[in-house]
Amino acid sequence: MIEFKNLSFGYTSKKLLYKNLSLTIEGGCIYGLLGKNGAGKSTLLKNMVGTLFPLEGEITINGKNPKKRQPSFLQTIYYIPEDVFVPSLTIKQYKNLFAPFYPEFDEANFYNYLSELDVSVDGKLNKLSFGQQKKFVIAFALACNTKVLLMDEPTNGLDIPSKTQFRKLIASIMYDDRIIFISTHQVRDLENMIDNVIIVDNGDLLLHSSIVNIGNKLCFKTITEIPANAKVLYKEQMLKGATVVMENINREDSKLNLEHLFTGVTENPALTKEIFSAN
Amino acid sequence: MNDIFEFKRFGLLFKKTIAERYVQLIGITGLALAATLVIYSAVLYFTGGMGRNLAQNLSFVYGIIGGGCFLGSVIFGYFNTNASGAAYLTLPVSAFEKWFCGMLIIGVLFPSLFLVFYRLIDSCFVLFYHNGLNKNDPRYKDMYDAVQVYDFNNNFAKQCVMIYANFASAMMLGSLYFNKVSAVKTALVYGCVLGLLYILNLTIANMLFHNVDGTFPFSAVFIKVGNDVGILGLPDAIANLVLLAIQFIIPGILFLTVFIRLREKEI
Repeated sequence: MIEFKNLSFGYTSKKLLYKNLSLTIEGGCIYGLLGKNGAGKSTLLKNMVGTLFPLEGEITINGKNPKKRQPSFLQTIYYIPEDVFVPSLTIKQYKNLFAPFYPEFDEANFYNYLSELDVSVDGKLNKLSFGQQKKFVIAFALACNTKVLLMDEPTNGLDIPSKTQFRKLIASIMYDDRIIFISTHQVRDLENMIDNVIIVDNGDLLLHSSIVNIGNKLCFKTITEIPANAKVLYKEQMLKGATVVMENINREDSKLNLEHLFTGVTENPALTKEIFSAN
Repeated sequence: MNDIFEFKRFGLLFKKTIAERYVQLIGITGLALAATLVIYSAVLYFTGGMGRNLAQNLSFVYGIIGGGCFLGSVIFGYFNTNASGAAYLTLPVSAFEKWFCGMLIIGVLFPSLFLVFYRLIDSCFVLFYHNGLNKNDPRYKDMYDAVQVYDFNNNFAKQCVMIYANFASAMMLGSLYFNKVSAVKTALVYGCVLGLLYILNLTIANMLFHNVDGTFPFSAVFIKVGNDVGILGLPDAIANLVLLAIQFIIPGILFLTVFIRLREKEI
């Protein structure tokens, strides 16, 4: 479990990016952290892994404080930054040097993930393309079997087949108490993969909800006429009517559209709060 | 699990450090050793074999201090990109183990390797010189005795080691403050600090004396007396204290600060 207690963070104490953020993240779920560029997604991940420290408040991950960067904590968490780093080593050398730091590392799965992501295993890692390097790091991170997996824009630099493969892999490695946290501004990449959504903007937590709850609270559909008094979070005029995200009064089933949800929530934070706070 | 130190984990870190950055670590060490050999040979060549003591001193000072400074600046040089910095900080080893790994390389391995290499080349040069002497020459004994294997206990060598400890620790610390081109930035800061000390010492000396010729940053004032220049040193007790500070206290504080900075480093 990850707990944020009154977290305040800013690169200068005068301008805080997060102020008194409190949030609880339960195990066994895949979380999508959505936000615009510069919204503070990467900052939040860095606070979680302990490469940035909160100015006030604290974060605990499975009872450990990331700020201390203890080996017993770091071997249970893997963080993939947006720009990955690979040294001038072959895949085998990398595995031999880095895998022993992670007691749950599974070699067979590692090679399996590399194969599924179509990563070339010849030559030095730093000679691979950015996308290949990223896929290599993703495969290694998944094989480490850490309880917490933090990914910052993991699909940046991946081609379309790799994005599909990535989604399949993520779904296949989920287990009961594992937490997978994926930050992205490319919301479509997360569709059908996540089961919880967190939306941040300018350091504010605009939405933290499960996909099931979003389906209960909101309705995603195309209509010709918007009913009077309807609480509309998002509206886009199309040729055959309007695509809307609105309050789900009639308990309708609809297919979640993350992009529309994201735009609606960031444009109407007050209405979002009103809809999601209502029972 | 011990979160401060485990031999197995430290061994893995050490192996990873060397294997991952062998080009930098082994390259700089190799370059320092090669430079030592080149300087030694070049001085001998340009002085026609007469400047053997100069060759020994120059190659020793440039080899150990130059190599140590560069090595010190790369030992924690992971922070020039966010990705490599994050990878280093999130590696499951303690800050103490990371610090100790750096200390082992800078404090033990590089100096030991350098001293062994230096002794080897110096012995070869000296042996070559001794074998080249004419045993029937009446000055043979004087010439033989004039060139001996370099004594690591001489004052010059001790001062070099002292400067090495100061500079290498400062470079290690600098690489944790300056993410890019840390060696240049640290050298600039170090130079500025020494310059300020020099100016401070000179200003105070000028306030007290009218015939100041110059000052040394920490401990001496040069006074003109007629055509001669006299040295006004510190009283023995204070001079010893300054020496103690330069030899042990300042490098000690710098090495300790490296550990603290490593624990608190953010990226």
